[in-house]
Amino acid sequence: MFEEASEVFDNMFKSSFPLTFIVFIPAVLILVSPLPAEAAHEFTVYRMQQYDLQGQPYGTRNAILNTEARTVEAEVLSRRCVIMRLAEFSYEEYQKALRQSAGAVVIILPKNMSAMPQDIVQQFMELEPEMLATETIVPVYFAMEDDELLSIYTQTLTSSSSQGSLSAAEVLLHTATANGFQMVTSGAQSKAISDWAITSLEGRLAGVGGEDLPTIVVVAHYDSFGVAPWLSYGADSNGSGVSMLLELARLFSKLYTYKRTHAGYNLLFFVSGGGKFNYQGTKRWLEDNLDHTDSSLLQDNVAFVLCLDTLGSGDNLHLHVSKPPKEGSPQYTLLKELELVAESQYPEVKFSMVHKKINLADDMLAWEHERFGIRRLPAFTLSHLPSHRLAQRVSIMDSRSVSPSSRHGAGEPPAGRNSKLVAEALARVIYNLTEKGAPGDLQIFTEQMVQDEQLSAVVDWLTAQPRAAQLVDKDSSVVSTLEYHLGHYLKDVKRHYVKADKRDPEFVFYDQLKQTMNAYRVKPAIFDLLLAVCIAAYLGVMYLAIQNFGVLYGVVRRITQPKTKTH
Amino acid sequence: MTLFHFGNCFALAYFPYFITYKCSGLSEYNAFWRCVQAGATYLFVQLCKMLFLATFFPTWEGGAGVYDFVGEFMKATVDLADLLGLHLVMSRNAGKGEYKIMVAAMGWATAELVMSRCLPLWVGARGIEFDWKYIQMSFDSNISLVHYIAMAAVVWMFTRYDLPKSFRLPVTVLLALCVYKAFLMELFVHVFLLGSWTVLLVKAVLTGAISLCSLFLFVTLVHSN
Repeated sequence: MFEEASEVFDNMFKSSFPLTFIVFIPAVLILVSPLPAEAAHEFTVYRMQQYDLQGQPYGTRNAILNTEARTVEAEVLSRRCVIMRLAEFSYEEYQKALRQSAGAVVIILPKNMSAMPQDIVQQFMELEPEMLATETIVPVYFAMEDDELLSIYTQTLTSSSSQGSLSAAEVLLHTATANGFQMVTSGAQSKAISDWAITSLEGRLAGVGGEDLPTIVVVAHYDSFGVAPWLSYGADSNGSGVSMLLELARLFSKLYTYKRTHAGYNLLFFVSGGGKFNYQGTKRWLEDNLDHTDSSLLQDNVAFVLCLDTLGSGDNLHLHVSKPPKEGSPQYTLLKELELVAESQYPEVKFSMVHKKINLADDMLAWEHERFGIRRLPAFTLSHLPSHRLAQRVSIMDSRSVSPSSRHGAGEPPAGRNSKLVAEALARVIYNLTEKGAPGDLQIFTEQMVQDEQLSAVVDWLTAQPRAAQLVDKDSSVVSTLEYHLGHYLKDVKRHYVKADKRDPEFVFYDQLKQTMNAYRVKPAIFDLLLAVCIAAYLGVMYLAIQNFGVLYGVVRRITQPKTKTH
Repeated sequence: MTLFHFGNCFALAYFPYFITYKCSGLSEYNAFWRCVQAGATYLFVQLCKMLFLATFFPTWEGGAGVYDFVGEFMKATVDLADLLGLHLVMSRNAGKGEYKIMVAAMGWATAELVMSRCLPLWVGARGIEFDWKYIQMSFDSNISLVHYIAMAAVVWMFTRYDLPKSFRLPVTVLLALCVYKAFLMELFVHVFLLGSWTVLLVKAVLTGAISLCSLFLFVTLVHSN
């Protein structure tokens, strides 16, 4: 047959030369074409943080992944992708996977976080900073769970946990029926983002009565932090702080429009970026205003700086200071007013002052007020958290559905109550009410003024997208919307950019934080051989059948023949 | 599953054709070129069918899960063109009945193998992702071979002038079954919701039954003279 075939092809090709091209070139092209593959499942994964802060690297260093999936129960984990579920996550297993030089780790988070029990959420929250502190070479990814991912996980679990415990025949059968999964990411290796600008916004309300008025600065950082940048929504930290700042801006701008209530204090509002990365936005803003400008509100008469950080839940309020305020100073006045208002109007709130000295030897500063303290400006931070080290400030679990503020039962939501408290205290300081003899339970702002729905709406909008500093660039919608809103209430709304220094960068961010991962169903190599053996056997049987077709023919003939014989 | 898996599937699909060609004695009759011509006729007939379907049949606008019985039935009727094509091929070849049938069937089935199965195998079986459907496709091509041989035999019998009257009915029934086999298979799948391996089994059984009946009729016809 091959001789005939070659004859035919010879005739075909000799007669028309272009025909060869038409036939051969496409064939060659098809042979060398790259293969578009269909995956069993394609899903988005979010990478763990990768950044350098003050030269120190944190987080995972790698982004590419092309390995087979296993769960923690498997014996051999090296160069495999270890899949874990949040419900069964434990730090020891994570470290075990890393020690055995696993190829990657994928942690599956449930879609409905609020359904997870609080202790698991709390445990994971506390593990996040530890996971980031150790520099991991392997990529660590987070994925949201859906049905196919769950089925992939259960299949991998059954095949991983049954390895090494079966006889040879069972292993063979297993290879025929089991499904392995190859996890492949589509992106490139991660590299540093150059020229990333962190944006901050400032706006002011000028006081009445000449020059050299005292200035009150209200600061809140708008960015959020978590173990994975794309999953850090920061509802409480610091969505609550930003919403409170906007609310204060609105209230005081309303008061300042009327001559009767226009007070003799300048109010400066600053929404800072890069807050979770050692307050980069505030640091550069201070440098620019104090060192590089001739005149600025910050240089003259600053009464105090109030930083708002994580105020959305709980019944505690702590005023963190680096130096206890001296009697008679404006800071002391604010402290006393806060105490008074809390005592008389909100007895359920436990207010206290926490004194912590600035420790310049630490890697990271504790609270935002320390940046101002370093520049000798009197500052404090108001927070419901007693310590800056608490994991709630830097967790991906701090989202709208999970944060305790949403689980608040009866009574006023803490965010609204805290806003009212701060607004009242500030008003008492600005209008000097205690000196004028106003009683402690005088409510300056009535129910209609401080609106809970507005606060809630702002936090909802803020938590609708991840606000990690690496993801909010100067064109981002978060920044422009904040700018627009501040522009409603304040004058002179300005943007302020921070770019890392070229030679000695304070911060370096890396890209490839969100990838598409494909899970391909694969069979082990032995399976191919097994299949080849089976096919060879089948073809052998076919060959014999076709060779002996004559036998069947004869049988049929013999069956039909008696009919004709009788005719 | 890489090239090895592709090789497996290709071997499974193609070897029976090769063996049939060798063992049926066609190589002695220099039938290769005629098989290629039969293949070309297959291409032409498929092209005509596609044009006809595209021109005259509206797209189905019903729901996604509802099966358009009447529409699919009409589309299957267009497959009568296959019979005409086979008849055309066989009438152009001079020779014994068996020779004509085998040439037509081999050419037809090989053309179908190359056109409708080689490309999916090449593109799909070479990928990382493993799917049983490629092995099933190769089995299906084996079943198609038998099916086309039976179909060619029935067409040949239908056009014989010395076909006894009593055979007319069975031959017509078999002819109809051959043409509507694809439609019947889809019907089964929809009504009984069969799995893919069960479908293959049912197809094999159906084709086996058709081919056995046609073999019986053929033998009786040929040896009754």
